[in-house]
Amino acid sequence: MSNSRLSRTNTRHRCSASLWAALAACLFFPAAELAGAATAQDNDIHLELSPRICTLAARDKQCRTEVHAQWSAPHEESLCLVVLDRPSIKRCWEHYARGTYSIQLTFVDDLTFQLRDPELQNILASEVLRVIREALHYRHRRREPWNIFE
Amino acid sequence: MDTKHGRRLLIALVALASLSTALADDSECKGPSADCVAVGSWSFALSLGAGVRTNPVVHQSDIPLIVVPQFSYYGKRFFIDNLDAGVTLLDGGAATLSLVATPGYDRVFFYRSDLQNIFVGGFPTLSGQTPSGSGNSVESTQPAGRAQRFPARARAVTYLAGPEWTFKYHSISGQLDLLHEITGRDHGDEIRAALGMPLAALAHGPLSANIGITWKSAGIVNYYYGAPGIYDAGAVLDPFLKLAYVHPLGGKWKFTAFVECERLGNAIANSPIVNARYVTTTFVGTTYVF
Repeated sequence: MSNSRLSRTNTRHRCSASLWAALAACLFFPAAELAGAATAQDNDIHLELSPRICTLAARDKQCRTEVHAQWSAPHEESLCLVVLDRPSIKRCWEHYARGTYSIQLTFVDDLTFQLRDPELQNILASEVLRVIREALHYRHRRREPWNIFE
Repeated sequence: MDTKHGRRLLIALVALASLSTALADDSECKGPSADCVAVGSWSFALSLGAGVRTNPVVHQSDIPLIVVPQFSYYGKRFFIDNLDAGVTLLDGGAATLSLVATPGYDRVFFYRSDLQNIFVGGFPTLSGQTPSGSGNSVESTQPAGRAQRFPARARAVTYLAGPEWTFKYHSISGQLDLLHEITGRDHGDEIRAALGMPLAALAHGPLSANIGITWKSAGIVNYYYGAPGIYDAGAVLDPFLKLAYVHPLGGKWKFTAFVECERLGNAIANSPIVNARYVTTTFVGTTYVF
């Protein structure tokens, strides 16, 4: 009885712990991210960007470069490469174990490249092309209403 | 401007700058904007269009405005703004106090090749390379009725230097320069003061107005427009009004148009080598910012 009660208690504790873990996961990770992370781990799909960083000098306002994306997987996969906030960029492969894609891009902020399943629901791998700005200091421009071209 | 007077004016400018800094509601520069520029950066712009600056000096042709390059550099304190250079002593957001050096303006009417006609008024034409102002002489009629020749002479490049106070209050910007000639040609003084304000937004582009005055001491006026024994000028006050319209065209292009009218004071307008009361500058074109 007591063993049974103990067993029931333990089971209840285990269920309760699993429930809390699931709840916490739901709260702290969006479902797609969670699924994507898991799938990425399971599939071990590797995504690589070149360049990985764009450094803006003082006078540069934006990055303009050709970005080369390369992915590989242990098995054949069907997937698509997309860039967050750039719906026009999408390249898909069906039953491939590796792929490359190059595109000329102009951007001012970080760009997130993602490999997703063909339905674009799950993230299989993700890499960020970072923009690093040289530390700039600003000052006031001369105000010159006397000047003819001001 | 004697030393004592100049010192008082400088103290007054510092006080004004400090006061406006204290009252400033304007914030620091945190990024690029119309008012703010990155320290250590050069900027270049080129205006292409059609325009003209009328020339009030007799026998001198009007000055065409076709290609107008502009450039600037801002260091932490030091700056170059076309042909002006300066050091900013106080930068309080709403007001700044700088020491500036700037070329004397009136030479533009005597030499088409003057740099101010390149960087402010357009490239000189081949025929305009001759310093025609130095070669001309003009008949001058004295009160007694006897005609005298106004002697031809060269007018050298001069530079003036002194404190400059600028401020911004809401959308109005102001500038006050107290300048003294430092290249030893005329030892004159000059005060430049102007206010700039937006008037309205027309077709997505702002229409703005600038009003101002230029005061020149007798030394400067005589250096350009006088001749010993023939015409001794006094100080002069030249007011001006400018209307400008700038419309962004997309990318780095913008449409630029302005008209400026300057009324010459009596000391200049009455000179025997001057035959106009007004100098009008007009320009319509596009500006490309690199």
